Amino acid sequence: MEQRDRWASKAGFILAAIGSAIGLGNIWRYPYVVYENGGGAFLIPYFIALLTAGIPILLMEYVIGHKYKASAPVGFRKIHRGAEWIGWWQVIVAFFVVTYYMAILGWALSYTYYSFGTKWGENTEAFFFNHYLSLSEDFWGFGSIQWKVLIPFLIVWAVTYWIMQRGVSRGIEVANKILMPILIGMLLIMTIRGVTLPGAAQGLNVLLTPDFAALADPKVWVQAYGHVFFSLSIAFAIMLTYSSYLPEKTDLTNSGLIAGLANSGFEFMAAIGVFATLGFLAAAQGIAVDEVATAGVGLAFVVYPQVINAFPFWNSLFGVLFFGSLLFSGFTSAISILEPVVAGVREKFNLSRKSAVNWVCGFAFLVGLVYTTSGGLRYLDVVDHFTNQYGIVLGGVFEVILIAWVAKKLDEFREHANGISYVRLGSWWDICLRWITPVLLSGMLLMTLLDEFSQPYEGYPHSGLIAFGWCVLGIIMVGALYFTKFRQERGNA
Amino acid sequence: MSVSAWIMFLIGAIGLWGGLAYFLWHHIKSEKRLKQENQS
Repeated sequence: MEQRDRWASKAGFILAAIGSAIGLGNIWRYPYVVYENGGGAFLIPYFIALLTAGIPILLMEYVIGHKYKASAPVGFRKIHRGAEWIGWWQVIVAFFVVTYYMAILGWALSYTYYSFGTKWGENTEAFFFNHYLSLSEDFWGFGSIQWKVLIPFLIVWAVTYWIMQRGVSRGIEVANKILMPILIGMLLIMTIRGVTLPGAAQGLNVLLTPDFAALADPKVWVQAYGHVFFSLSIAFAIMLTYSSYLPEKTDLTNSGLIAGLANSGFEFMAAIGVFATLGFLAAAQGIAVDEVATAGVGLAFVVYPQVINAFPFWNSLFGVLFFGSLLFSGFTSAISILEPVVAGVREKFNLSRKSAVNWVCGFAFLVGLVYTTSGGLRYLDVVDHFTNQYGIVLGGVFEVILIAWVAKKLDEFREHANGISYVRLGSWWDICLRWITPVLLSGMLLMTLLDEFSQPYEGYPHSGLIAFGWCVLGIIMVGALYFTKFRQERGNA
Repeated sequence: MSVSAWIMFLIGAIGLWGGLAYFLWHHIKSEKRLKQENQS
């Protein structure tokens, strides 16, 4: 067995943890979530969610990784003999997430190239859906693999594979040390340029003017907890794996607070940049900001190209900055999502890092090919919905219930963190993890399930939701049980 | 920008960027102290 990887420096670990937390959602999801849920008033539930759920879970995962120095399945097995499957659940969820995440990175790479000379033309919607994706008419119209999507997909996979092969300190750490300062610099330039555009103040007014009445709506609070939960890369084994590579003497609490606040600070800045430019677009088109405000794929690949078209000068540069930010933020997250899968497979089957990377990257690449077909966008959307709303949330519920209620490890973990950290964890940490987090996560899950059965997600056919949603969840469950059982019979981990 | 929007901006900026700056400053300080301890 090879020696366990280690971070070369604490700064390298912190940058990698921030790089993992900062992802596509910070740029294309958070601004719209704020706008839709009370504007500036949303900051109140957001701060509360960050302090009572996001950071406590993040710190708990840091402690698990640091204390047990193992991948997620082995770490959970060390906590409780019968809990290895929770680690595998999280690892397999991470595997499915990375398969479609790489496809989106491929789109971002293409659009970074298209930014030179704003190749998307005037009708950005038709360009993205018809010209670039060649989106099929109906859900089951797979169509053929689209080379325009496949080539960037291959490129991002090749770079990712190379970084993963180089290992933790020479690959992941070096990549984050290079990409993170560039990413933060690009966002700063974009935000400063955005707020100096005509109409920016209107966009910022729409984003930040508080609607305190919205705080009486429980859905706003669920949105705040949901966003913080998805944004921090928690509950799919990433932070647990990253912290397992830390040396003995490490201030865990301070590192966790830095990562959590850097992620939130980044998305706050991204929201300002995005809404300032949306204000500019609305002013240029003579319409209200509400009419251009959107999220996700629509914001990045349809509305933003319109913003770039409307720029008075240096359109291409702004395009490169925006899509480059998407690419880099997604890229640092993608390598972090792959790492727990590589670590889990490596420890389970006693493989070298090279072999584990070959297996994981090879298999994830093959599965991801489905997203390069004409129907790829819809399949990606369904897999994303089910792995996030059920896979990650359930992974979080299992994890918290195991540690707080079954294994009763909170006191031990708190002592571990306090023994090596300057900022000490108090009883508030126990209360958050024992009561607030499981109740809120279960509530979120219940609300999503009720929505699911009241109307099919995005109006997709039931057959599609079963095949790409429920079946993926079934594979995660069966896979988790199979890998756990494998150890008992033949494994040597 | 309206006054209420400015206030919410300041709350976000001080809470998030200010909080980050504080813990980063603390990290740098403790790293320096650790270095000095190792040297002496």
